[in-house]
Amino acid sequence: MNLRGNEALRERLASEYVLGTLRGGARRRFETLMQDDVALRRTTREWNARLGAMAEFAPPVAPDKGVWRAIEARLRWQAATPRWQFWRHGSLALWRTVGLGSSALAALLLVVVLLDRPGTAPISDIASLTDEAARPALVVTADRARGLMTVRVVANVPLTAQQALQLWAVPRAGKPRSLGVLGAGRELTLPLPPDALGSDVAALAISLEPKGGSTNPDGPSGPILYKGGWIRLM
Amino acid sequence: MAFRALYDASAPRLYGLALRILGRPELAEEVLQESFVAIWHHAVDYESALSAPMTWMSAIVRNRAFDVLRHRRSQGEDDTLDSAALASLADLAATPPERLQMSSDARALADCMAALEARHREVVGMAFFHDLSYSEVAHKLTLPLGTVKTWIRRSLARLHACLSARGAG
Repeated sequence: MNLRGNEALRERLASEYVLGTLRGGARRRFETLMQDDVALRRTTREWNARLGAMAEFAPPVAPDKGVWRAIEARLRWQAATPRWQFWRHGSLALWRTVGLGSSALAALLLVVVLLDRPGTAPISDIASLTDEAARPALVVTADRARGLMTVRVVANVPLTAQQALQLWAVPRAGKPRSLGVLGAGRELTLPLPPDALGSDVAALAISLEPKGGSTNPDGPSGPILYKGGWIRLM
Repeated sequence: MAFRALYDASAPRLYGLALRILGRPELAEEVLQESFVAIWHHAVDYESALSAPMTWMSAIVRNRAFDVLRHRRSQGEDDTLDSAALASLADLAATPPERLQMSSDARALADCMAALEARHREVVGMAFFHDLSYSEVAHKLTLPLGTVKTWIRRSLARLHACLSARGAG
C-alpha cells in the first residue's frame, strides 16, 4: 500500500484507525507505516483530537464513592516516584501543547505529574501563566501552609543578561504588587506574601524588565508577556 | 490533593464513558479504577500524546473498556449493546445543559455531527463507543456492508470538512 502522496487515502485510513473500524491486518500495517511517517502520525493525532471528543458525549454519571477509595488503596502501595524523574523526562514541554479550553484541567494534571507525589510539599494553589496564544510559559504554585510560593519557567523564554522577568499580583483595583524578580534561573521559591492570593487578586502577570526589576515604582516598566489566574486546589 | 481534584473534576465524565461502552456499573467502575491508576503512572508520558488532557484520559478509559468488552465477547458473553443503548446513540447531538460542560472541541464536534443524517450519526457512534467493525455494525443494524462503509467514510470526510471550516472561521 503506497500512501505517499495520496492525501485522501491517508486521511481516510487515519480516521478509520481512530474510529476503530480499521481492523486486523490493515490496522497493523497502518501502525507499521506510522512508525516511519511523521506526517502520518500527525494526521492520526489530529483525528484523535477530532473524534476523541466524542467521548464527552456520554452523559456524566457520578461513580460510587468506593471507586476512589479503591484507587487510593492501590496507589498507597506504590513507591514514591522521585521528583527529579519528572525533569529527566523533560515533560514540561507538555505545556506548550495544552490548549486554553482545558487549561484548568491541564493545570491539575500537571500538578499530578509534577509534584503531587508522596514526600513532596503540598500545593494549595496553582496558576499557569500563558502568552497571547494561550501557550503556558510559567507555572506558579503556592503552599499556604508553609507560606511559600514557587515560580517555574516551563517554556523557552529567551532573556539577555540585562533582562529579568518580574511577577505581579494584579488587583481588581489599584496598582500591581510585585511578588518577585526572576533572573537567569528557571525556578525561584519565595515567601508567599499575604496579598498574593487575596480575593482582590484578579490575575498574575509577568513583565519583561531590566535586570533587578521594574524601574517604575507604580508597576511594570516593560511589556506584560504572560498572565493567568490562580486555581485553588485545597 | 491534586490527584483527588483531578479525579473529582473528570471522574463523572470518564465513568459516564465507561458506562456507555460497557453498560454495566460493576464493569465500568473496575475500568474507571484501572484507568486512574494508569493515569497516575503514565502522567509523565502525557506530553507525547500531544492532546488535551480530557482527550488523553478519555482514550485511556476507552481503550481499557474495549479490552474488557473484547474479553467478554471472546468468552461468548452477551453483548451489552442493547436496544436502549442503540436508541440513545441515534441522538448524539447534545442538549444545551450538557453542552455547557463540554470542551470546545466536543461542542464543535457535536455541532458538526448534528449536521449529519441521523442514521449516519448512529453508525459512527456505534463504531466509536462499541468497538465494532464495519461488518459488525452492518450485522447489528441489518444493513448491507457496503452501505455501512459508505456511510461511515462519508461521515468522517464531512466531519473533517466541517471541523476544518470551523477551525478556519
